[in-house]
Amino acid sequence: MQDQILIEMKGVQKWYGGYQALRDVDLIVRKGEKIVLCGPSGSGKSTLIRCINRLEAIQQGSIVVNGHRLDDSIKAIDVVRQDVGMVFQSFNLFPHMTVLQNCMLAPIRARRISKSEAEAIARKYLERVRIGDQAEKYPAQLSGGQQQRVAIARALCMQPKVMLFDEPTSALDPEMVKEVLDTMIGLANDGMTMICVTHEMGFARQVADRVIFMAEGQIIEAGAPDAFFRNPQHARTRQFLGEILAHH
Amino acid sequence: MTPHFGLPEFGFLLRGLQWTMLLTVVAFVGGCTAGLAVALLRTCGHKGVEWITRIYIGIFQGTPLLLQLFVVYYGLALTGLKLDAFVAVAIGFTVNASAFLGEIWRGAIQAVPRGQTEAAMALGLHYSSRMRDIVLPQAIRISLPATIGYLVQLIKGTSLAAIVGFIELARAGQIVSNQTFQPLLVFGVVGAMYFILCWPLSWWGSRMEARLALAGQR
Repeated sequence: MQDQILIEMKGVQKWYGGYQALRDVDLIVRKGEKIVLCGPSGSGKSTLIRCINRLEAIQQGSIVVNGHRLDDSIKAIDVVRQDVGMVFQSFNLFPHMTVLQNCMLAPIRARRISKSEAEAIARKYLERVRIGDQAEKYPAQLSGGQQQRVAIARALCMQPKVMLFDEPTSALDPEMVKEVLDTMIGLANDGMTMICVTHEMGFARQVADRVIFMAEGQIIEAGAPDAFFRNPQHARTRQFLGEILAHH
Repeated sequence: MTPHFGLPEFGFLLRGLQWTMLLTVVAFVGGCTAGLAVALLRTCGHKGVEWITRIYIGIFQGTPLLLQLFVVYYGLALTGLKLDAFVAVAIGFTVNASAFLGEIWRGAIQAVPRGQTEAAMALGLHYSSRMRDIVLPQAIRISLPATIGYLVQLIKGTSLAAIVGFIELARAGQIVSNQTFQPLLVFGVVGAMYFILCWPLSWWGSRMEARLALAGQR
């Protein structure tokens, strides 16, 4: 089962008007794999993961998630979104709902499970991101790091097969980055399949099976973290790593 | 001998006030219902539908309410549909309110951060749940000051219904004033009645606005 393919992107092309955001992207993600996507801003890494749950439509190529081919049909989009969890840079918690309600809504509405069952699941995952005691609070009453952990728990409540992280620590104050990364590391250790857009290279070293470098909408190179950081093949990768590692 | 402004005249004004309030409630409830539909169609993402709603809003915002009332009351009568004055003005005000409220709420829906919709989509929530559970509760909060402001305009605007012979508060005042020759007193009382209706709403609206501004700073 280790080799089961969860995500398969083939020849994906994406344009915003005349601007090409993704150029001929091929990517295969197997069950249990942890992938870190990095690259300069505007390189298409966020766009790439947003195509996987169809927050963005693609113009050419194909994306298959857990055996379901993403096309324009609402049914396909539905099935895929139930299998794919996402965590955003800006948390995007629902401000008018408590932490618990944030976590219960989707299982009740999209999975159609009962309230009591949804609450049990929500409390379990809130406990798992170590925020169970804040369940009755509103998002605005929590710190950024706590909010992001709630967002992770909210996504987990749908019991997804894959988790997408779109720069989950970029909007956080430095002292809160660690608590979110620790949560993600815990998730990785439990065997979750993950694709993370992040500049946290320490996280990449520790967790990633593969690090992928993108520039100008293309995958420039990919490799195991050891080789990727020690011996990058492309000049563009070396330049990027030089720039971001200088700050760390 | 001309009657003086006394209890019977005051009672007549009160009955006018009742009609004003009833017309306001009917127009507001009807306008809210139809306005919600207008706002949802205006933001549905389908180009053609959005254009049609835009034209609908444009027509009712771009022509005088008086004219719209004439069309409903006299125009429909010409086609053989003779409406009671109250029904006619209720329809006229409802349609007009739906355009204005629809536009207010269109703005409020679009003011809810895009990330809210994206998070809801990523969680697999459908359009109906996204709107009902996520976007509208936040949009209504955002739009509350403007919606209350419109309600105040509507209360005062119902005086236009007098033009097709409907006796609401302003028209009642005119009748009493003509009978008693005490226009200052009569219209003073009429004005006070409008004020008592409108001022608390205005106050509430500006308080909501201040609260929202405070919440926005956090």
